[in-house]
Amino acid sequence: MCGICGCADPANEVSMTDPETGLKTLIRNEHEHEHGHNHAQAHDHHHEGDDAPHVHGPGGEVISLETAILGKNNEIATRNRGWFEGRGVIALNIVSSPGSGKTTLLEATIRRMRGRAEIAVIEGDQMTSNDAERIREAGARAIQINTGAGCHLEADMIASAVKSLDPAAGTILMIENVGNLVCPAMFDLGEKMKIAVISTTEGEDKPTKYPHMFRAVDWVVINKMDLAPHVDFDEASCRQNILDVNPKAEILCVSARTGDGMDAWCSRLANLLKEFARAGA
Amino acid sequence: MHELGLARSIAAIAEENAHGRRIREVRVAIGPLACVERGALAFCWDLVTEETAVAGVSLGFLEAENDTFVVREIEFMEDS
Repeated sequence: MCGICGCADPANEVSMTDPETGLKTLIRNEHEHEHGHNHAQAHDHHHEGDDAPHVHGPGGEVISLETAILGKNNEIATRNRGWFEGRGVIALNIVSSPGSGKTTLLEATIRRMRGRAEIAVIEGDQMTSNDAERIREAGARAIQINTGAGCHLEADMIASAVKSLDPAAGTILMIENVGNLVCPAMFDLGEKMKIAVISTTEGEDKPTKYPHMFRAVDWVVINKMDLAPHVDFDEASCRQNILDVNPKAEILCVSARTGDGMDAWCSRLANLLKEFARAGA
Repeated sequence: MHELGLARSIAAIAEENAHGRRIREVRVAIGPLACVERGALAFCWDLVTEETAVAGVSLGFLEAENDTFVVREIEFMEDS
């Protein structure tokens, strides 16, 4: 049980569902954390050949390490990245707050890109496979990952999902992260780049409120442009806020619902695919 | 709740480096840009170490720069 957000069991389970077959596989559960060194007996305290520098303080011995806490995730992410490059798959990590329209954007993209590019989707949500169902209905292969209490996707979940999806060369793999502008910034999945989706209804200052995330992305898609006049959305100010935290960000304005700007977005994706194919050739 | 996963990773690093010896404290260095909430991490630490080889080990915090987020020191028990 997660005592902070209050969510109940099976909160610590992470599962993967294929909407085509309905098959649900458990990726992790509460007791999955294995204890690598289960020594029944303590070792002698050797000094020679010890790999960690250490001192004897007033208490016990202190050893110095600089072990990256996200090291395991980063190792798996590096492996994923190598696999994507070798296979010729472009992985895009799509991040946003809940309700910005990531899934609607993906549905519209899949429909428009039919025949131009193969798209596969990994959906991340705490619960339900609603989004994977929607993607499947739009005509793409999808795997749903349910993170339980987890607030973001991690590299090992992507590795499991990719094994199951087995995307062909030339596929654009859209990884729709859990709706959250905080934690997904910390976890490399092995993607080519992160893309943030924000919507006009969220206001212009999301980038300044969540600068870590907006610094970590290459592209920002501003969605729900059709609603801009109704919610007094100031596009120029939003663009400025994005560029203040990330001067290199490429910004695209769309309405996934009406289709405005979708041609430019799809062309940009098609170009990405071309650049990628050229670089790989 | 990413602190839960982070606490698990810290516990795994501590166990790997303990080689069976008893640990008094694990000290992590956290920079201001690491996006890690100390209170939440401390809370999760107790939760995930319960009934493991590092149960009862305390979690200490050291100041660091930028987005540093590493296990910096492990202090063992005097008799260990």
